[in-house]
Order: sequence, then C-alpha cells, then structure tokens
Amino acid sequence: MIAIREPRDFADVFKYLGALWREEGALRFLRICWNLGREPSAAGAWWKSCLIVGVVAGGYSLYMLFTVGHASFNTSSDGVNWGLAIATYVFFALTSSGLTFIASMPMVFGFRELYPIAKRAIWLAIITLIAGFSVLALELGHPFRMLWAMPTGLQVMSPMFWMGVFYSIDLVLLLIKFYLLWQEDWDSPLSHFVGTASFVAVILASGMLGLVFGSIVMRPMWYGSFTSIYYILTGALCGAAATVVTTYMAYDFDRAKMPPVLREMAEGDHMPKVFATLIGIALVMILTRFWTGLWSNLDGLEGFHALARSPLFYGEVLIGLGLPFLMMLSSRIEHKPGMQMAAAFLVLGAMFINRYEFIVGGQLVPMFKGTWVASLTEYTPSLTEWALTAFGFAIALGLYALGEKLFNLSATPQSLMVARAGDRRMAH
Amino acid sequence: MAKWGMVIDLEKCVGCQACTIACGMENTRLPGEHWQDVIFFQEGTYPNTELKWFPRPCMHCENPSCVAVCPTRATYKTEEGQVLVDWERCIGCKYCMIACPYGVRFYTEEAPRYGGPDLKAVFPAADAHSWSPPWKAPQEDWKHGVGVQPHDVVSKCTFCYHRVSKAPKGTADLDPSNPVMREYTPACVVACSPGARFFGDLSNPNSEVNKQIANKNGVRLLDHLGNRPQVYYLTGVGGAIPNTHTTKA
Amino acid sequence: MTDLSIHTGLTRRRFLQATGAAGALGAAGLSFDAANGLTLQKVHAQPAAGPAGQTVITKSFCAQCPARCGIDVYTTNGRVHAIYGTLDNPLAGGKLCPKGHYGVYLLYDADRIKGPMKRTNPKKGRDEDPKFVPISWDEALQTVADRLNALREKGESHRYATITGRGWGYTDVGLLKQFGQLYGTPNFNLGHSSICSDASETVKHIMDGHHAYSAYDYSNCNYLLVFGAGFLESFRPFTGNMRNWGIMRSKAPKTKVTVVDVHLNTTGSAADRLLLTKPGTDGALALAMAHVILSEGLWDRQFVGDFVPVEQPKDADAPRLPEHKFEPGKEVDPATFKEIWTVGVAEWWNVELKDRTPEWAEKITTVPARDIAAVAREFALTKPAVALFERGASAHTNGVYNGMAIHALNALTGNMFAKGGLRGYQMKTAWAKLPIKAEDFMDDYAKAPERKKPRVDGAKSKRYPLAKNMIQEIAINSLKGEPYKLDTVMFYMTGPIFSAPDCSKWEEALRQIFVIDTSPYPGETNRFADLILPDNTYLERLQIADTYPYEGYPISMIRTPAVKPIFDTKTFGDAVIEIGKRIKGPTSEYYKKIGNTENIVKWMCEGFKDKPGDNGVTDFETFAQKGVWYRKPYAYLQERGVFYEWDGKGYNKVMTPEEVKAKVMPTPTGKFEIKVTELEHHAEFVHERLGIAPERAPFPQWVAPRHGGDGDLHFISPKLAGQAEGRSANLPHVAAMIQPTQGGKRNVFLEMHPEAAGKRGIKDGDRVRIKNKVGKIEAIVRVTHTTRPDTVALPMIHGHWAQGRWAQGAGRLPTGSTNEVTENLSEPLSGLACFHSGLVSVEKV
Repeated sequence: MIAIREPRDFADVFKYLGALWREEGALRFLRICWNLGREPSAAGAWWKSCLIVGVVAGGYSLYMLFTVGHASFNTSSDGVNWGLAIATYVFFALTSSGLTFIASMPMVFGFRELYPIAKRAIWLAIITLIAGFSVLALELGHPFRMLWAMPTGLQVMSPMFWMGVFYSIDLVLLLIKFYLLWQEDWDSPLSHFVGTASFVAVILASGMLGLVFGSIVMRPMWYGSFTSIYYILTGALCGAAATVVTTYMAYDFDRAKMPPVLREMAEGDHMPKVFATLIGIALVMILTRFWTGLWSNLDGLEGFHALARSPLFYGEVLIGLGLPFLMMLSSRIEHKPGMQMAAAFLVLGAMFINRYEFIVGGQLVPMFKGTWVASLTEYTPSLTEWALTAFGFAIALGLYALGEKLFNLSATPQSLMVARAGDRRMAH
Repeated sequence: MAKWGMVIDLEKCVGCQACTIACGMENTRLPGEHWQDVIFFQEGTYPNTELKWFPRPCMHCENPSCVAVCPTRATYKTEEGQVLVDWERCIGCKYCMIACPYGVRFYTEEAPRYGGPDLKAVFPAADAHSWSPPWKAPQEDWKHGVGVQPHDVVSKCTFCYHRVSKAPKGTADLDPSNPVMREYTPACVVACSPGARFFGDLSNPNSEVNKQIANKNGVRLLDHLGNRPQVYYLTGVGGAIPNTHTTKA
Repeated sequence: MTDLSIHTGLTRRRFLQATGAAGALGAAGLSFDAANGLTLQKVHAQPAAGPAGQTVITKSFCAQCPARCGIDVYTTNGRVHAIYGTLDNPLAGGKLCPKGHYGVYLLYDADRIKGPMKRTNPKKGRDEDPKFVPISWDEALQTVADRLNALREKGESHRYATITGRGWGYTDVGLLKQFGQLYGTPNFNLGHSSICSDASETVKHIMDGHHAYSAYDYSNCNYLLVFGAGFLESFRPFTGNMRNWGIMRSKAPKTKVTVVDVHLNTTGSAADRLLLTKPGTDGALALAMAHVILSEGLWDRQFVGDFVPVEQPKDADAPRLPEHKFEPGKEVDPATFKEIWTVGVAEWWNVELKDRTPEWAEKITTVPARDIAAVAREFALTKPAVALFERGASAHTNGVYNGMAIHALNALTGNMFAKGGLRGYQMKTAWAKLPIKAEDFMDDYAKAPERKKPRVDGAKSKRYPLAKNMIQEIAINSLKGEPYKLDTVMFYMTGPIFSAPDCSKWEEALRQIFVIDTSPYPGETNRFADLILPDNTYLERLQIADTYPYEGYPISMIRTPAVKPIFDTKTFGDAVIEIGKRIKGPTSEYYKKIGNTENIVKWMCEGFKDKPGDNGVTDFETFAQKGVWYRKPYAYLQERGVFYEWDGKGYNKVMTPEEVKAKVMPTPTGKFEIKVTELEHHAEFVHERLGIAPERAPFPQWVAPRHGGDGDLHFISPKLAGQAEGRSANLPHVAAMIQPTQGGKRNVFLEMHPEAAGKRGIKDGDRVRIKNKVGKIEAIVRVTHTTRPDTVALPMIHGHWAQGRWAQGAGRLPTGSTNEVTENLSEPLSGLACFHSGLVSVEKV
C-alpha cells in the first residue's frame, strides 16, 4: 500500500495526484484511489461506499440529464417548480454555514477548547458547500451562463444575486482559512481576520438564502424575515450535528482515542446541553411556524395543513428532533457516545426532511393553476432527483473521507495542547 | 411611448379557450405551455351551482416581482411595458416562476403531461432550439423571448411583442376588427369570438382600454400584492375574479 | 358532350395558368410581410410559396365542425403556421372558436398516413396489426374498381356502400349520388346524420316544412331559451354563437338567457338561469311553458290568432257571458279559436296541454313549478325571443315529441321568421349547374329494375319510414343479412366503429367486409381496413361548400390549398372520380368528361357572374381571393303576423298565403303545424312504436322516454368546446388544454354528484368502471356539483384505441368510447340514436 502523506498546500495536492497518476498509470491510480479506504477505519469504509454511490447515482443522474434533460425531474410549471434538488442544495448550504459557525466558536469567540474540531469543521463547511453547489449546478438550466450573466446583470434587487455573492465570498474565505490552518497558522492577525470575515460572510450568506424565500410575499409560507433567522439557527444545528457525527467518526467512534480536550467535552455536560438547546430552538421555530400557519386563514397558508397531515412531519418533529432533544437532556444517557451519535444522525435526517418540506411545502398552493390543479399541488421526486441527491451526499461524504486521509483534520494548535497538559498536571 | 395594456370583459368571456389555443399556435408553444390559460372553478351546490372562469395571460405588471428576483436581469420590462425574458441571459433558475403571483411562467424541460410521446422528441431541433415543429412560426427574437425557445429557459407571454412592437407609433387601440391594426394585435385578442378582449395604450386617456376600465369598473387580479397588473378585468354581471390562489371552494 | 374544361371556356393553356401550375396567373390577395406589414401579393388557387421569409395568406374554410367558418391560412416558406378567421366572412367575422386553430397541428400530425396502403394481415381485430404495405395510387384505385366491377358482374353492386360523415359539398359527398346511379347501388351515401342531430331537422320538417337546421337572429334577440344545446360549447355555428353572445350580453336591452340542461356546463353557467332537468324530460318543461302561455293569455295573437268574441246577449241587462279562454283542466271548443299561421292550437290544448301544468311538469322534471312558470312568462313577454334545442333534448326515444313541444313555443309567441327570432332557413347559393348529366351515361345494368333495392341501413323502410339515414343499423343489418350482407364499404369522414351506439358491433361486422378507409389519419376504421386511400387534409384541398345555416342569406366558401399535399394523398372526390373512370361501361366516360374536382369547382363558380356576391365575387378568381361569396339579406320576414318578401330595397312585398306556403312554410297546410299532417299519416306507426293513441299522434305531447342500457344512473356524453370532429383526441395541444369541468391534461373526467359518489364509496380522483348490459369502460371520477345526483357525464372526446400515439398514450382514460356503454336505441321518427339518456351503473375499480 502506498503511504499517503499530507500535502503541503493546495498546489501540492494537485501536483501530488498528478505525479501519482503519471508514475502509477491510470489503472493503478484508480486502484490506489479505491484503496484509500483499505485501512480499516470508518472513514475508509465511507470513502468506498461513497465512491460506489457517487459513481452509480452520479452516473445515473448525469446520464438522465444529458439524455432526457430536466424533463427527467418531476418538477412542473403547474406545480412545484423547485423540488428535491433545491432542498438538497439548501440542506448542504445551511449545513456548511452551521459548520462555519461551529468553527468560529474557537476562532472568533475564543472558545479555545473547541480548537480540535475547527479544522475539520472548516473542511466540512467547504465540502458541503461544494456538494450543495454541485447539486444546484445540475438543477440549473444553464449553470455556466450564470458565471457571466450574474456579474454583468448586477440585479441588486434579487436575493438570489446576493445569495450568490455571499456564498462565493464564504467559499473563498473558507478556503483561505483552511489553508492557514493547514499551514499551522492558528493565531496570526490575518488568521483571526479571515475567521471573523468568514463568520460575517456566512451570516449574510445563510441569511440571504433565507431571504431568497423570505422575500416572496406571494408564497406566504415562506414570507418574512423569520425565514432568515430560521435558516441561520437551524443551520447552526445542522453544523453541530455534523460536527458530532464526524468527530466521533474521526476517532473510530472511540472516545478513548480522542485528544483529552475533546474527550472531556464529549463526556461533560456542556456539549449535550448546547446541542439540546440548538434542537430546542429549532423545535420552537418549527412549531411556532406551524402554529401560525395552521391557525391563520390567510390565502396561501393551506400548505401547512397538508404538511401537518404528512407522516414526514411527525417523523421530523417527534423522532428527528423531539427524541434527540430528550436524549440530550437526560442525565442518564446524554453522555453515551452511541446516544450522542444517534441524536446527531436523527437531527441531520430531520433537518433534511425539514428542508424538503420547507421548499416543497411553500409551493403547494398553486398560483392560479385552478383548473389543472384543483386543490394543492402534488409532487414526488423522480428517480433522477433522488439520484442527484444521493450524488450530493456522495460528494460530501467522499470528500470528507478524502479529507481525513489527506489532511490532518484533527490538527490543534501546539499551545493549546501544552496548556491543557499543564492544567491536567496541576489538577493532579 | 405607449404603455400597452389589456382589458378582459368577463361578462362576455364564454370560456371557450380559443385564446389559449391561438396563443399556442401563434407563438409555437408546447402542449400545456399555456402562456394564456383559462382557469375554471366551480362554486355552489347542486342545483344552485355554477362554473366560473377567467382567462389568465401574463399581467405585464408595473411592479413585476419576476423582474426584481431575476439574478441575471434576463427578465426585464420594456419601455412600452411588456415584461419579457432574454433567453440568452436566462440561466433557468426558475426564481421568477417562484416569485410570480399569477403563475404565468413556464419551464418547458418537463415530462409531458398530455399522454403519449414528448412532442419535443417527435420534432427535435437540429440546432439550439428546444424543438422544431413543422408549424413553427417565422418570427424569432431570443432577446425578447420570441420564437421557439432554446432549452432550459423560462418562457412567458410577450403580449405578442413580435406583433405589437410593429404597430405604428401613437396607436391608441389595437382592434382586430380594423384591418389596418389586425396584424399588430395580440393573437388572443384577434381570436376572441365574443370580443371580450381589448388591447391598447394605457397611457392614452382616450384609448378604448381606458374607456372600458373607467366605464365598466376595471379591476386587477390580486391587486393587494401591489404588482399593479397592466391587465384589467371587467367583472360585470356574472363574471368574477378570485381573490385567492386556490380556486377550489 | 365535351368535357368540362372546354365548357368553362378554359383552354388547356389557360387552365394550367389558372391552377397556378405554370405560376403565371393567380388571384391577387392580401398577404402579410413580417418585416414590412401588409402588402398586396399574388395568391394562387394552387399553393404558391411566397418569397423566402414572406408570409402568404390563402383563403379556406374550417373543417372542425359543420359550420364552415372562413379562414385565413398563414404560410411562410411553404409551412403553415397560423390560422385566423377571415375578417370579411360573415360567419367567421374574423374570429374562430378554439378548434379553428387546430388546422396547423392536423396538417402536420406526426401520425398522418403517407400514401395508399393495403392490408397484408388477413386477421382483423382491435389488437391485430393490419400490417399495411404501401402501394401506388394506380394499384389502390384499380383494386377498388376491380372489386366493384366484379360485384357488378355478379349483379351484386348493391353490396357496395359508401358510409359518410361530414361532407364538404359538391366535390366530395356531392359526387356520390351520381356514382350510385351509374354504378347501381342504393347505398351510395349512407350518411351519419342519425348519430348526429336528425331529430331537430325532423321536427322542423314536420312542423314548418324545412328538413333543415334553422337560422336564428341572435344579435336582435332579447330572450334566448336553450334546451340541451351546449350553445357555448358545441351548438353550431360555434364561432357565430360566441360572436353573437358578445353582442347579446352587452347590447341594450341585454338578451336574457335561460338554459335547460342535465348538467352544468359553461353555457348553463354563463346564462341568467339554469334549469337542471331530468334527462329526456325537456318536452315536459316545454309543454308546461306552453300551458302557461295559453292559460295566461300570453300567446301572440297576430301570428297564432285568437278566440272569436263570445256573442253577448242582446239584452243589455242580461249577465255578460265570459269570453273564451284556455282554462287549466278544461277543454275549449276548437271552432271558437280562429287561427292565422298555426294549425291545431285549440285541439292541442284539449288533447294535451290543458293538464300540463307547471306542477305536473315539476313531478316529471324535478324543476320547480314556479321556475317553469317564470320562464314561460318571460319567454312570451320578451320579444323577440328564440327557443332552440338540440341533442340534449332530442337524443331520446321521445326526442321528436320533445322537440315539437319546444319548437311550438316559437310559433305560439310569433317568433317564426321574425326579426330577432327564428329567422328562417338556409337560402341556396347561385351555383352554376354542371352541363353533364349522369342519366345520359347510365347503362342497362344501372337502369334495370333489379337495381331498386332497399338501402342496407333501413332508412325509409317500414321500420324507419321518416328517417333520412340509419347509420347505426348498418352493422347489425349487414351481419344478419337483412336485407343483405355488404361486400365492400368505403368510409369517408366517419368512424361508426367508435362513434355509433354499441359501437363494438361494428368490429364484428367489419371483419366480414372489405373495408376501404379514406382518412389521412390512423383510426379505429383504419385498424379494420383492407385498403387505405388517404384523403388530403383540408388545408391541401381545393373545395367549395355552402354555409351551415347562419342568418338565412346564402353564404358559400372556397378552400384553396395553402400547401401542396405534403404526402402522397388524394382528395376524396378525385379518388371517387378516378374509381369512376375505371368502372366498365359508360360510367367511365362520364367521369372522363368530369375530369377532376377542380373542373367542377370552376364550373360551378360561373353562376356568380349573374349573381355577384356582396363582396364583389363574380368568378373563380375573385372567389379564391376573397374566400367567400354571400348575398344578403334573407328573403322573407314575418312581422306582426304578416309575411313580407324582400324586393331588393326592403321587406316591402306582402306575401299571400299561397306564396308563404310555396316559399316560407312548405307544409301540407302552408301553416305552422302544431297538429302535424305528416304524423296524421303515420299515426298507426306512431301508435305501434311509441304507444300513442293514433288520434293523439299529430300533437306535441309528453311521452315518457325509454332509457337504454341498465343501471341506476343516467349517462350522458357531452361534446366539449375544444372537441373537433374526429381528430382532436390525438392532438397533444388539445389534450393539454381541454377542460371538462375541472381540467384534465390527458384525461376527461366522469362528473359525479357527491351524493351519488358517496353512496358508492367513490372519492374524487378514483378510477371507476362504467358499465351496463352493452359493455363497460373505465374513467377517473371528478366528484362535483356540476351534475344531477341521478346523472353522470363523461365527455365523448377520448377513449380512442387506434387513433395514434397520443390518443392511445399510456394511461389515457377513459379506456374506450362512451358508445361502448350506449345501447343502440333510436328515436323512431327521426331515427336519431338515443345518446343522452342511457342507464349505467358505476363502481370503483
């Protein structure tokens, strides 16, 4: 097996891969790529399965898009215009934003004990955003045209324009920040500045993503500034859940392998309580949103009734959010690693449902399609759309696994390690 | 500069859908791509039961929400008031379809819903057009959303831009019974048998559209949204426009 | 005899020029240049592609319904891309109904048949691929001629039949009579009218002497009473109706409209009042209205007449005797009622009307008595007014009697031949007569007495003595060999295998017959055909025709081809002539003299020289350029009980009763017959078939309908506004926009009342089976308040099983023709198939 060393910088990644390709030949290169996961670890297994899922789902969705085109989607001018692909994009984009919030805790707000998860969170933020953008690009009619038409159009009235601007800035800042951490630059003024700028950018980006929907008064299920806040806070929840899952995974689901600071955090009371708080906030926001939606007679809110009749909604609220909330409050089980991971997985699942419900639900009330759509519109994603979503997940998880292999995502500033070691000595 | 507008007299409209089919023919639309649809709904209980309907073209709003949301300025409003799509700028994000309160925009890369094979596949285009039927109309102007569109863009009613834009300057009324103006008049107005449609210059106080609006109490669809449509309805006796989106009682 | 082209004075050279084959001489017409606006361009009788990029407008007339609106066909670079109504055509007025625009799709229908073909799979069936192989026109025509010649040699020429649907006048169905005469078959033109609207023609025929559809003066009408006629969906001329609707609903005074129907349609909704009656009971409503009109003294005395005044006692002090009047439940002395233009009003009262109170009608119809009385009063007191009816009222076993009761309302209120009323009947166009007579070419075989055979459809037989056609009987009769079995059948513009009641019987019949289909499209007949002689579509044809009755004055239109036939197809009329040329004996001489349909068209236009149209049409060239010939006005007018004739300046000439009888009301009495002479003659027949006492037979009266099928729900199959004749089911543009009640995209829905649905556990959107003893089909239910609880409605457009890729698209519903659950039951007098009152049961699948 070929040893994998950590590349020095972005250029080195490509140089290294290029060299490997040249030296080993295409077939062996592919084998090496495949065998990246030979080392028996969670990341390795994920890498392999994501490669398979990515090739199958991605291949299928790309095949359908090139042969049938977007007609292979079940979206329709008479009903749901934005379907599962957009929900997937929103899920990834907001998860990315949430991960940036998590990374900002040590880097902007001085919670230094969270440093061990910062680099991983930044990497995850980058790849989830890439996954989101990839799905979005395949959903758009002309993604490449966007690259020149948006800058030349400068439609400053459009929330989508600003969403594009802020998420682009966000991605660039994330890449810079990741580079700096890679180069072990944890504490320079530049590093701090990039961290702060990135935090501001991600607030704007996720808030603006909320406004893409929140500005649309014709769709009252989305309308209002609440949507921005909702997106930011539920994004943070997704980020937290993703962090919990991936951190455990990085240490083979074994707390003993974690650095002491992380182990203390996982064993302590704070992490579950913070997680429970975030879940609680999300629950309050979802339930109040449904309350007003179900209570009001306003034209256009009928979709809430349909959503409230859907089993997905109960799965989301009761199993996906309610159960983890209780788990994280219970002093008996909140510390158990399995429970923490289960809670995080449930939350991620619930939030994916939530994104789908939010996007599709907002379009259930037809805009004067009375004749053809006698009541609320109906929508079930097509196989191509599901494949595209699976492709998105494969991109995100595959890149994550790759990151674990290529980069030292658990990197922590030396100073922190030393300081913590000192603390512990003194405690003894 | 004219400000084109339309008046639809619902007391005269009989719901025959000739406007829908004539529009589709004039503009080479796909089946179901109803730039000009007629929305029916049923109210009341047997035996006191009624069907209601209203034709629904693009409202060519004074404050078009579709224009505001378009991230690339592909959707724009002309000086003469038409809201159009530049198919060379459209990225197919469908945000305009989300933002339009009247549901008048179409993304035609969709599975056919009429039963039978996809007409686009039966009459494929050899070039950048999304399809090329033998009955394709001669006009083409992608900058104004006219002609058969390329694939993966949003299409919409142009107020028959290719006809109206050729009308002589200063025209107040485009009346299809006037042989001189007939060819400049939008297809749906030409086709309307009971004469329920009027088309003309809203900025000209003496135009027929303004007379109709003033004398027969013209109203606009979902006026509370503030999009200020340039299409007015005369509800008269028996006609009605819904004030909600769902037309199911 | 010489041939036609020399008779018309056209030398061969000029002939070529005029047809545009040489491209030199064409008619001038308007065309539209996309860049420069309106310009004057040469337009040819034969298609002439304009310069590249230039749009040429050719004149034609529509083919999607019998009305025949004039159309402007827009062609650019040899491709038709738009069709609009002709502005100066009185019927179209520059407008078209939705169907008028279908022409572009029909011309380029991707499923069109590309040339003549013959069947190679001897097995016939719904699911049998005919395995057609292309053949030449010569082989195709010779195949037909050989079969026909062989039949003639066996003395069985009567076993050849042509079954026809929508004919377009003199150059297609108009040729068939001569063909039958020369060849020797009584079945030369077995028309479809008995599955169309024959009852309304029969009613007019027996009451006012015109076996025809009426012309109505809507634009001057102040009250419109519609019985089962889908005025804003299917009643002809649809475009004219809609144009007049715009006038009626915005003129002063506004025309008040009452609609009687069994379900809610756009007509009923747009009307001021909708009366939802029980299927087949329209006649009871009309009788009760007549009762109110007479008993309340609301009839028109100048048209109908009045009671003679009672001779009062000389003694001034003696009590005054009451004047005569129609009192409910009491008879009057017919001698005391002196009629002017009607016959039998007082007897009618005694025999029928005196007991037909609104309360009585309420029990029959479920329509409240007060509504019936209110409509009767409004109708009688608002003048002018029109009462019209169509299949909703007449496609029942009691259809003619229903229609008579309704039509009588027009006479009672003096609206016959009146301004704003039932204006009259279609006047004839000044066509020139062909100089070649078929009689001169009949051989001994054709003249032989053995040729006098009964028609295979049984029309005019003892069973249907008054019926014009009985298409729905052909399959059964041929199967039974009564009067004989058919050998060879040519179908033109009709498909009874789908559109006739109990249509499945045709599948059995057509297995035994050599079938020639002439449709340029695939269809159910095509699936059973042995030979295909594909017709040109209407935009590829040169053709002339007369209008559907509009305002009475004569209108005729011409189709000039917009494009050359895009496939190897041949106009049906020319195919008939070509077959004629191949029939042995003098027949071929006759057809060689005729030459082709173009000669006929040109010859007939010679008649315009003496009678130019109001729009300056004087010959073929000007006709081709304008597309229409018409001469206003209608020649007769009844006003205040006096008939006037147009004298060139005005309705100035008062007509004598003899003139009225000869020209306006050609009944045996010369009057509007409420006591119908024709039915007096057929009283025994009526008694036998409808159980009416012979002495009552002549009068409009209530006859309870007999409903076909079995089950607990009435089944009706209305025609939708977007349903064109025959071909719209395979047009995706139509499937995508057609709106039965609540929108369908690909399906039409079975409308079902919530109560009816609830009882059967059926929910909105459920798939159900509609069945009775005749058959079964499946459809999706729309639970809606648009229909009566005792009635379900399924539009008749879809359910085709062989009409092309879209009509047969996967998942298209219903699964079959509505006629698969319609019993073959006919109204005995007119022969009209009873489409609208059959019974079915509905169950969830």
